[in-house]
Amino acid sequence: MQRRSEMRSWKFSINSAFLGRRRNRFTEFQPDRTLEEKFKLASQIKGLDGIELKYPADLMDVPVAKRLLKETGLVCSAVNVDIKDAAYFRHGALSAQSPEARNRAISMLREGMDIAPELGAGLVTTCPLADGYDYPFQIDYTTAWSRLIESVKTVVSYRRDVKLALEFQPHEPTANVMLSNVGKVLHLCAEVSAPNLGTNLDIGHSFAAQESPAESAALLMSKGRLFYIHTNDNTADGGDWDMISGSVHFWHWLELLCTLDRLGYEGWFGGEVEQKHLGPVEAYGANIRMVRRMIKLLDNMGPDRIADLMKKDGNIAEIYSYLSQFLVPGE
Amino acid sequence: MNKLAIITAFLGGVRNRYMVYQEDRTLEEKFLMASKVEGIDGLELCYPADFDDPKKLKELLEKYNFGISAINFRSRRTGKWWRGSFTSLSAIERQEFVDEVRQVMDVAIELGSHRITTCPLNDGTDSHFEMDYIRAYDYAAETFSKACAHNRQVRICIEYKESDPRTRCLFGNAGETASFCQLVGASNLGVTLDIGHALYTGERPAQSAALLAKANRLFYVHLNDNDGRWDWDMLPGSYHIWEFIEMFYYLGQLGYDDDWYAFDVFPKEIDTVDTFKAAVTLTRKLKDLTDRIDRKKMEKLLEERNPAKTIPYLHSLL
Repeated sequence: MQRRSEMRSWKFSINSAFLGRRRNRFTEFQPDRTLEEKFKLASQIKGLDGIELKYPADLMDVPVAKRLLKETGLVCSAVNVDIKDAAYFRHGALSAQSPEARNRAISMLREGMDIAPELGAGLVTTCPLADGYDYPFQIDYTTAWSRLIESVKTVVSYRRDVKLALEFQPHEPTANVMLSNVGKVLHLCAEVSAPNLGTNLDIGHSFAAQESPAESAALLMSKGRLFYIHTNDNTADGGDWDMISGSVHFWHWLELLCTLDRLGYEGWFGGEVEQKHLGPVEAYGANIRMVRRMIKLLDNMGPDRIADLMKKDGNIAEIYSYLSQFLVPGE
Repeated sequence: MNKLAIITAFLGGVRNRYMVYQEDRTLEEKFLMASKVEGIDGLELCYPADFDDPKKLKELLEKYNFGISAINFRSRRTGKWWRGSFTSLSAIERQEFVDEVRQVMDVAIELGSHRITTCPLNDGTDSHFEMDYIRAYDYAAETFSKACAHNRQVRICIEYKESDPRTRCLFGNAGETASFCQLVGASNLGVTLDIGHALYTGERPAQSAALLAKANRLFYVHLNDNDGRWDWDMLPGSYHIWEFIEMFYYLGQLGYDDDWYAFDVFPKEIDTVDTFKAAVTLTRKLKDLTDRIDRKKMEKLLEERNPAKTIPYLHSLL
């Protein structure tokens, strides 16, 4: 029988935005780069199979992107549509009161849905960060949610052959983002009820939302809504630090991989890792290496053996005694 | 009431990693904006940004009759001091920090201010095993000690903050910072209590004020608010009404009542002038509410320690 580890189709991709200018409120860490420069950097990342391309920033000229994909041999894992530009979406995008803002967000997502197949991808991702609020009494939740649901319905009905993966994040740039956790995404998916609507589970966002990502993945997969994953980590203090996967939540990460393995996740491991003073090649290379090593460690532990141990209630001591043997053999 | 200032950085370009809300503005435009906010008595100036042309700066201060609450020394700069300034492994960088702070101390005196505040955001870590903490504290103590010795008449305030842009800054809360100041032992080294930073690191701001004042380290106060999860720099009292009132009450008790408050408020989609007008109005209202507390009665209530009596009393003031 073929080992499950050999059957997995897990591939690694990077979000192109993380190959260009990186800055936060206080500091600018990395300069702006052209698409050519971004591809050049991506092709230097060891173990990278694909690239998630940002629309509109990186896809103003689709033939150029096509050429660069061909030249580098990278696969386009998804088109990531950016609907948070303050020039248009200052007061919301998909949930905005202004029909102009809503229509613009819907049109941009549909444009992304047309570009994705041209690049060989069947998936559009978006993180609707403009749809949020800072203060109590700032937005009317009932009407804002109705508009959000209607807008998403309109987007996904455009063409069913391209999937839309919504990425939740608890906050930033506002204190509250509407699509803040796995429960709300599942609620939205249920309300819209379209087969091509699902989730991009960003592991760091899940930690920032105080979730166990393995549980979130299990919930999403039970409803067929886990379309894509962004790999990273953080300190779970609320900050979306985009750190190297497993650098903080080592056991949680192993649990996540174990869950994805057992439930048969077949999508990409995309990713967003903040590089700060490291360059993207070094930072993202380390991220891939970490995830690969954790997968290897998991294979040594045996997901089925772990599942067996978990069948018994109150078995935590035995489980950790079993798992830790693989870090330090012996008693 | 304490005088009110705006930190000039918040009158210019406002952005975060996702959005650009406000475009950069010249120093003159910043002064003009601040002058439109009724109730503002002065500015917290930012170094180096506001000091390109010291002559012009002086002219503007006179023209608008603005006081200076403090000079904000940026210890994090894009393209410089990448791995920290006063905790840098490089002795040259640490000396640069000392030299620059000394220069700014001289400038402060020239402008009639006796206070420098710095928020050491980039001195800290992202990952485990990224920094030798023991050495970092030694370097920090050495550099701050040298800077403070330059002129004891100028107070240097460390504005603590738990994180951003580092996942953990070296000075994350009131206790750590007070302890560090005592370790250095310089009489002119103290703390800027930013109420938002205190709230999101899980403190009761009034309690932090009391601790810092006890240690003779309560040097300066920044006002803003947040949801307790992140440093959103929101309008004062938009989330934590009672925390504000309690802090104002204690600042009165502790004698911080003839000084400055500086607004550290982030104007996002709302107009900058409107944002600070609201900040002034809200601060005054919170102070008015605080003043309604009968201090004698409160002292008695604090002796009783009975929230079933105290909370209804507080609500009766609304």
